[in-house]
Amino acid sequence: MIPYVQMKGITKIYPENNVLANNKINFKVQKREIHALVGENGAGKTTLMKILYGLEQPEEGKIYVKGQEVKIHSPLDAHRLGIGMVHQHFKLISEFTIAQNVVLGLEPLKRIIIFDDQKAIQEVEKINREYGFDIDPRLKVSKLSVGQMQVVEIIKILYWKADLLILDEPTSLLTEQQIKKLFAVLRRLVSMGKTIIIITHKINEVKEISDRVTVLRKGKLVAVRRTSEVTKKELSQLMVGKSVILDFVQESSKKGEAVVEFKEVTLKQKGGEHPLLDSINFSVHSGEIVGVAAIAGNGGAELEDIASGLCKVTKGTIFHYGEDVSKLSVLELRKRGLAYVPADRLHRGSSLQAKVSENVIISNHHSFLKNGFFNQGEVRNFTNHLIRHYSVEGEPEMPMGTLSGGNIQKVILARELTSEANFIIFSEPTWGLDVASSEFVYNKIFELRKQGKAILLISSNLDEVLALADTIIVLYKGKIVGLFANSEKITKEIIGEYMLGIKDDFLTCPQKEEEVESEH
Amino acid sequence: MNIKIKKTNDLIVNTLGLAITLGISIIIAIILIFILSEEPRRTIYYFFIGPFANKYYFGNMLDAAMPLIFTGIGISIAFKSSVFNLGGEGQVYSGALVATIVCLALSHANGFIGGFLALLSAFFVGALLGGLSGLFKMKWDTNELISSFLISNAVILIVNYFITGPLDDPKNYLLATYAIPFQYHLPKILLPSNLNMGIVFAILTAFLGYFLMFYSHWGYEMKMCGLNREFSRYGGIKVSNYYILPMFLSGALHGLAGGVSVLGTYHMCIKEFSFGMGWNGIAVALIARNNPLGVLLSALFFAYLNAGAKAAMINSDVTFELVNVVQSVIFYLVTAQAIYDIIRYKIKRD
Repeated sequence: MIPYVQMKGITKIYPENNVLANNKINFKVQKREIHALVGENGAGKTTLMKILYGLEQPEEGKIYVKGQEVKIHSPLDAHRLGIGMVHQHFKLISEFTIAQNVVLGLEPLKRIIIFDDQKAIQEVEKINREYGFDIDPRLKVSKLSVGQMQVVEIIKILYWKADLLILDEPTSLLTEQQIKKLFAVLRRLVSMGKTIIIITHKINEVKEISDRVTVLRKGKLVAVRRTSEVTKKELSQLMVGKSVILDFVQESSKKGEAVVEFKEVTLKQKGGEHPLLDSINFSVHSGEIVGVAAIAGNGGAELEDIASGLCKVTKGTIFHYGEDVSKLSVLELRKRGLAYVPADRLHRGSSLQAKVSENVIISNHHSFLKNGFFNQGEVRNFTNHLIRHYSVEGEPEMPMGTLSGGNIQKVILARELTSEANFIIFSEPTWGLDVASSEFVYNKIFELRKQGKAILLISSNLDEVLALADTIIVLYKGKIVGLFANSEKITKEIIGEYMLGIKDDFLTCPQKEEEVESEH
Repeated sequence: MNIKIKKTNDLIVNTLGLAITLGISIIIAIILIFILSEEPRRTIYYFFIGPFANKYYFGNMLDAAMPLIFTGIGISIAFKSSVFNLGGEGQVYSGALVATIVCLALSHANGFIGGFLALLSAFFVGALLGGLSGLFKMKWDTNELISSFLISNAVILIVNYFITGPLDDPKNYLLATYAIPFQYHLPKILLPSNLNMGIVFAILTAFLGYFLMFYSHWGYEMKMCGLNREFSRYGGIKVSNYYILPMFLSGALHGLAGGVSVLGTYHMCIKEFSFGMGWNGIAVALIARNNPLGVLLSALFFAYLNAGAKAAMINSDVTFELVNVVQSVIFYLVTAQAIYDIIRYKIKRD
């Protein structure tokens, strides 16, 4: 049988950093299958798909679609061949409606030059009917949840009449329930004759959704298997090249004194009706990991901002070792022992245009001053020390933006964890990281707990929260709807129900704080 | 190691690019002169060699570079922090006026003390005008590009009023203020030209600016705020300061340009004498890539073109307009090259 798409001997070199991203890869996709393309960060998955989508040109190799050799020089060529791609980071314009976003690039016109909004809406409604989506094309994208945005991206590809859909890490921002919905959509699309390639590094999802799986490692193809014939353990071994422990053994920790306490913390937006955070009460003790679970838009990000001092409370108090710190500046908080690994690494956690060395001294650059001037030698030594210690692939003089995602996170971790902190905030610490890097992060977090640090972990990855946290808080619409000690009995499903607001019996809370009114 | 090699390559490519642009613009200038001048050889000679022909031209060329060094550094500091100071014209002009007023008011004071006070007030009046735009930006998120431009335009009219009104010296036939007392004149360097100690101040300022921007913690914080404010806030830098500080310093250097021009070159405040110093500062900073030491060279280049134009005009048959056209072509190409490089640089990094 002729494969639907075949890539033969694809080789791609990134000359900027001399990386062999793809090394003579042969990749085949059959019509009407869901094909998982898996591998660690930097394995070359995205590069391979970017080549297929025309965003990158390979040094060597040929591409065949339905047995015909094709040249794909740009996404436009790809569209003509029926190939579409949803990127990891959505490329939607939030001020446009769904319909406007979908038709962008191929807009229906009336009287030759005028944009036809009605026609655009009809087009989306047609796709809705055809594929069974339920989404109002008149809505602004800014009003959508992440899951809905994903659907918009898919509709957009379908509007371009794609038969092969490439999805790059489609689940990284989604909750359990949203992932289930997405997978249902994908299955429906396949049943209607579409072919799907899904790039991921989550082994559970590979098992759940895909028919076949191709594993890449360090730019090379290591295996192509039927998903049903391969176990999770085998897959992770193929990806990493060595065996990994997927389950962490929790060491019992000694909980000490309260380091940070949130009392009635409320955050209101100017002119906003509902508070973004509503009378939040909890504390983080030394040697304790408090995990916060929340769906996007329910207060997780706001809690991150408040706890890190970047945003000030509207009402309520934050105590640090019993002292009110809610009005202190970020610098003062950092001096008192705050370290913070933000979710937004590329914008908040680092300055991509600045050098690595300039990035690592951001919060303590005063200590490198000698007679008012920077001691550049010391800065370089410090940076080199961190780079070695955290095995970052990079050099002090390189702009931060030239490092890979995993290495950027390592630099951020190195910077934050080297300071003398007593309270550390981790937000989405392993988002987008591969197994080995995630493991590294988890070990670091455990190590810090052992040292008696107070840790606040905000994560949309429930596996992570369950594996790491001693105490779990669930936020829903800005309120704490669940607060419980982590135990065997707590499952993802239970937390998920709280996250979706199905349950809000705060009474399960072991540390009796204040009752929160249930919302109806 | 690879990275280092690449860096030098980049440097070579950039320098080469600038050199080629310069070469092309000079060829275009020569062609234009051939078309428009009756005695092209003489014109070309004075245009390119004129500034070095004698002490007078040479000294005046350096003197013309002096205010551009101040304004170029001023613009560089603002650009490096990603704030834009388009109010340079008004800041230079008001600095000049205030320095003049201080000198006239202290007509019998000691030359050092009075001169110092005059330059200090010029410094602060510029700083105030620039800082105001920074303050507006911090308080109300006003676009500093617009506000600095508007403030500058208003201030120019006010300065004009003083020069042609209360401070106008009826005895001179210029639209200018009374001359400042002799003890405030900065010592001349290369007589008979106008070159004076001001150029030494300018060079010192360039080195000071260089260390401030690349080796001090203010420079670091300014740069980091310029590149990414969110990250700087996250790291504990007081970001709101860096709306005001760069505009304050930028304005201050512009004010100083005006003050030093009065004390060193003109010895009075002449109506519209400083026109162009602010705008040219922007071009100077662009070509120098916001490096204060580079500003020394690019300001000199600007002054060289200007001096060449004047020399050609005086000694040959070309009119001021032709000279202006030739000059514009060169400015245009060089600036375009600089802007192009910056854009390419940005795109590459994004």
